[in-house]
Amino acid sequence: MMNKTSLIALALLVFMGFYPLFVDSAWLAVGTTFLVFSVVAFSQDIILGRAGVFHMGHAMFFGMGAYTTAILNVHFGWPILATWAPSVLIPMAFAFVLAGPIIHLRGDYLLVATIGFNIIFIQVLENDVFGLTGGPNGIFGIDIVRLFGIEFASQTYMYYMAFILLGIALFIMRNLDKSKFGRAMFYINKDEIAAQSMGISIRYYKLYAFIVGAGIAGAAGSMFSVQYSAVSPEAFNVTQSIMFFTIVLVGGSASLPGVLIGTFIMFVLPEVFREFETARYLVFGLAMILTMILRPRGIWPVKFGDIPSYLKKGVK
Amino acid sequence: MSEYILEIKHVSKYFHGLVAINDLSMKVKKGQIYGIIGPNGAGKTTLFNCITGIYTPEEGQILWKGKEIKGTTPFKIAELGILRTFQTIRLFAEMSVAENIMSGRHIKSKQKWYNGIIHTPAYYKDEKENWEKVGELMAFFNLSEYATTPAGDLSYGIQRRIEMARALAAEPELLILDEPAAGLNENETLELTQTIRKIQAMGVTVMMIEHDMEMVMSLTEYITVINFGAKISAGLPAFVQDDPVVVEAYIGSDEEDEHE
Ligand SMILES: Nc1ncnc2c1ncn2[C@@H]1O[C@H](COP(=O)(O)OP(=O)(O)O)[C@@H](O)[C@H]1O
Ligand SMILES: [Mg+2]
Repeated sequence: MMNKTSLIALALLVFMGFYPLFVDSAWLAVGTTFLVFSVVAFSQDIILGRAGVFHMGHAMFFGMGAYTTAILNVHFGWPILATWAPSVLIPMAFAFVLAGPIIHLRGDYLLVATIGFNIIFIQVLENDVFGLTGGPNGIFGIDIVRLFGIEFASQTYMYYMAFILLGIALFIMRNLDKSKFGRAMFYINKDEIAAQSMGISIRYYKLYAFIVGAGIAGAAGSMFSVQYSAVSPEAFNVTQSIMFFTIVLVGGSASLPGVLIGTFIMFVLPEVFREFETARYLVFGLAMILTMILRPRGIWPVKFGDIPSYLKKGVK
Repeated sequence: MSEYILEIKHVSKYFHGLVAINDLSMKVKKGQIYGIIGPNGAGKTTLFNCITGIYTPEEGQILWKGKEIKGTTPFKIAELGILRTFQTIRLFAEMSVAENIMSGRHIKSKQKWYNGIIHTPAYYKDEKENWEKVGELMAFFNLSEYATTPAGDLSYGIQRRIEMARALAAEPELLILDEPAAGLNENETLELTQTIRKIQAMGVTVMMIEHDMEMVMSLTEYITVINFGAKISAGLPAFVQDDPVVVEAYIGSDEEDEHE
């Protein structure tokens, strides 16, 4: 038997699976980017929605993944497939090193510190450090994925690769939520003193959230760089970080459907209203304001109480 | 090792130069129910916060099974087997009762770092064992019918039970209860008294702060009385109850209360 949520999820999955058959190439690209941004938003949600860390520099980890693939492929001639592991591991390593010294900071202070990291990251990219990042123009001519002589060049391939990536991200999110690690993050988020008194190390689990979140964002970055066959700094600046932060809060912290809805509203809707030029950002702004006033926990808030069925027997 | 599981030696704690705990010493025997009483603001909660690592006292020693634990972070104190409840209830309000109690299983869970990303057969075994333990505790505390209810939606008395179940889920050696009967009605207090006896029977040492004198006198084996951060009396319940110093401290504070 299926409940309502799983039915909606199944319908959505089928729709997303057949989406490339119905749309032109411009909308196909929007679809691919929606999938990639959803993955980034999910990874932001591990840090913000689960561990409750006010991290507003997430586009930096997304960018690290993108630039790792771009640099290794364009400058060092690595095949795209070979860049996948480093594009995940390098953001993870940076998350560990950068978040370590700031993880104990209170919400507002930490928020400012993460914005600072993001700004420095953009500076590094724009100054063409070691002649690798290509300055303000970024890096062009990133290869496509090649495997067993097949060239995954078309936008349809890109879409389905992003689709698989989203599937992997969702798989990890479910596993996280159903483990000691995901629960520890929630406990810390709800009450740090109580969580510590139950034996939970705040530092360990916040860092864990950062590192896993950075790794997933890095994977999305790698996909993003291949989709556009180019990377440039402005795709990873603080404005983008604000978008990912907002997606989580508008959609619903720690809620899988919520984050998908958030990404749709914050990224796809503005594309739908593209013909209205800059006025389309009205949608964007209004959605943010109205949601925070009317639904402070997000459009589709997280629901707790997902426990094994044998524990629900006594429930009246 | 001595027969005392917890020894507090000449502990002092200051807030902004004002003394909250003043040269306090006490010893808790393994398996005991140990009571701490005293007027409001005497420093009882502060003492518990010093034991559990929330505060670090400026002076003195806190020995757990003979080893100094002063200054140890709260999560490591819990790992040592010292678990607590809070005077002002601190539950994870939006989370279900079962999930709240599951937090107590954290230190007992053997999941590996990669189990947050990928699940293994060992993970499933561990997860099942811990949820089953949560089920047992919900049955013990009569909470099964609220398994999926957000803890914050429940009555005060039930929330107190959830807090105890959560602490007990960690299989503590020492359970520290800060005013467990506060806000409970007569029936609930009676139930609580029996529950604490059962917990003692499991081999858990209990330290409790409590204002309900009837309960303290019937339950505890030894009592320390604190006033203005210092010990003013200590001994068996019957002795402490009739100690003129204690009587005066309480009368004094009652009069103050009436003036307020
Ligand atoms: N974090 C704190 N900062 C400053 N003063 C505190 C703090 N915690 C407790 N105190 C003070 O220490 C004294 C003892 O408080 P407390 O331990 O809560 O008393 P009790 O639990 O016996 O009622 C009070 O005067 C209280 O105001
Ligand atoms: Mg108190």
